Amino acid sequence: MKVVLIFMLILVSISPARAQELTGDDIIQKVNDILSPGSSHGTSKMTIITTSGKERTFVMESWSKNDGEKNLIRYSEPRRVKDQAVLMLNNADDIWMYFPRTQRVRKLATHAKKQKMQGSDFSYEDMGSGDAFITDFTAKRLDDGKAEGENCYCVELVKKKDSDMSYSRLIMWVIKENFYPIVIEYFDEDDSERRIKRLVQSDIRVIDEIPTAWKVVMTNEEDNSRTTMEVVDIEYNIDVDDHLFTERGMIR
Amino acid sequence: MRRWLPAALIMLSASAASGQDDLELFGYLESQLMGAEIKSTFYHVQTNKLRFDMKYSPSDHVTVVANYNDVTYHGKRQWNVPDFLSNQVKAGIADPMASFYVIPFEDQHILDNANLRLSFNSFDITVGKQQISLGSGYVWNPIDVFNVKDVLDPTYEQPGHNAARVDVHPWGSFNLTALYTPEDTWESSGKLVQIKGRIPRFDVSLLFIETLWRFHDYTRLDTLDYGFLELPERRRVIGANAEGELLSLGLYAEYGYNDMEFTEDFHEWAVGLNYTFDFQTYVMLEFYQNTFAKSDYHDYDINDWMRFLAMEQKTVSRDQLYALVQHPVTDFTEFGVSGIWSISDGSFALVPTLTWSLFENVDVTAYANVNFGEDGTAYSKLMGDGGLLRARVYF
Repeated sequence: MKVVLIFMLILVSISPARAQELTGDDIIQKVNDILSPGSSHGTSKMTIITTSGKERTFVMESWSKNDGEKNLIRYSEPRRVKDQAVLMLNNADDIWMYFPRTQRVRKLATHAKKQKMQGSDFSYEDMGSGDAFITDFTAKRLDDGKAEGENCYCVELVKKKDSDMSYSRLIMWVIKENFYPIVIEYFDEDDSERRIKRLVQSDIRVIDEIPTAWKVVMTNEEDNSRTTMEVVDIEYNIDVDDHLFTERGMIR
Repeated sequence: MRRWLPAALIMLSASAASGQDDLELFGYLESQLMGAEIKSTFYHVQTNKLRFDMKYSPSDHVTVVANYNDVTYHGKRQWNVPDFLSNQVKAGIADPMASFYVIPFEDQHILDNANLRLSFNSFDITVGKQQISLGSGYVWNPIDVFNVKDVLDPTYEQPGHNAARVDVHPWGSFNLTALYTPEDTWESSGKLVQIKGRIPRFDVSLLFIETLWRFHDYTRLDTLDYGFLELPERRRVIGANAEGELLSLGLYAEYGYNDMEFTEDFHEWAVGLNYTFDFQTYVMLEFYQNTFAKSDYHDYDINDWMRFLAMEQKTVSRDQLYALVQHPVTDFTEFGVSGIWSISDGSFALVPTLTWSLFENVDVTAYANVNFGEDGTAYSKLMGDGGLLRARVYF
């Protein structure tokens, strides 16, 4: 009985201490694990609201494999971009685009990762960078706080010297309960004090035991534009053929 | 009536399968106004084009694709080639033949693509009229003997070709393609074999093509056909293509050695660089050399010009440089300027371009072209300053 009591006391005293002791790296590793399911397949709707208030909607089907290392996106709407596809391999280090009207596949160089995807506030880098939070940034835990009404860990991610990411640093707010990053703030590559974009994830549902934001809003504070990504359907850890992540897979 | 037959067939097959989710019907309507100032008169030709696409995938292994194009031209439907030429070249045209030197804009009612694709685990077979796209060049593709791009509008879609094609995917990114474009006989038919693979940061391919190059002698008439005399000649191309990244720059290179049956062998090559700055501006530079073309513009003759204007050969001059700067001025508007420099003869053309996504499925493209060369050069003032305005509605 005495032994059990001591053990319970140790547990009680250790638990909060362990939460306190979580380092920035620990938190980002858990975030990365959640955001990188083995494989996925889904459909989402992307709505862009421009500076002038114009609205454009895109519908796309996407597949991922190897914890997000391989990604394929294919547009189905609007008609002018129907069947256009983007293949991202090696965490978006290699990007190809397929244009169905000319049936041409073009390989994009790394610098093209910075381009806006279909005029949205997401760059190719934002969409397909797999485990970039770990490989391209150094994490440092800041004071915990509240974001979007949730109790969160706050982590600063500073770009590593050898990284070619477009942001000098990120501030990430991670829900304590499930390690889901509810807010990410992006800072200018040349001016680390200037916030340029802010991403908010909401309507988090658990799909196949994986928390998933059903709605993601990226606000571009420089251009005063906003892009909303809404999940239509998604499934995780399914069998996705490797052939899909090739030039052949882009050409449906 | 016959011209509507392909469209009717597509519509009928579409109706027959309309209850099925795997049938897709789409396309666009395009209206275009193109003009140029020739000898102080501004001429223009207006084009209306309806493209109707059908795609049907009854299973994961079978895809049927077809599109019908209906294109009508209005305005100046025949452009006289001598209007663009120097007096020296015009002097070589015999008077009785002068009326033959025209570029006609003829209405088209064609089944542009119509093919069946069978997909298996490690190979695909595509049979029927289909697009053939070869090479990484933006404006010039030395290894593409099937298409010639318009230097002012290089991204416009190319016509379909009758072909049977097999793509084998034995492992990873390695591909083997064999293609056959049937003509009257095996000898005159096109054959292509291409091996494609990947090395770090680069996609590379090697290919061999044998085809019949149907170019013409524009100084002699064929009395049977009442047209210019065709000089078909066997052409064998050994080529290579690479596209990737070096020192943070996008880099591509394309080379084709042309082994000719009668005329002198020649080579074509293109190399290009591109880069996107943090502020979203995209720049591109492409150099192209074609040793079939001449390097001194005083030597250009009517054959060179006609073969170029009839899109039988890619350029009239040997060395060309293309530069493009493009910037998204708003989320849906892109402004670009391209410069085309014919290094061989020192002529130059400037092409400012605007593309605008006006509404959800409505695009507008406009460009102007201004030439700065001496008479007789590739981009001489005689070629006519002009432009194009195009609106396209997708459905």
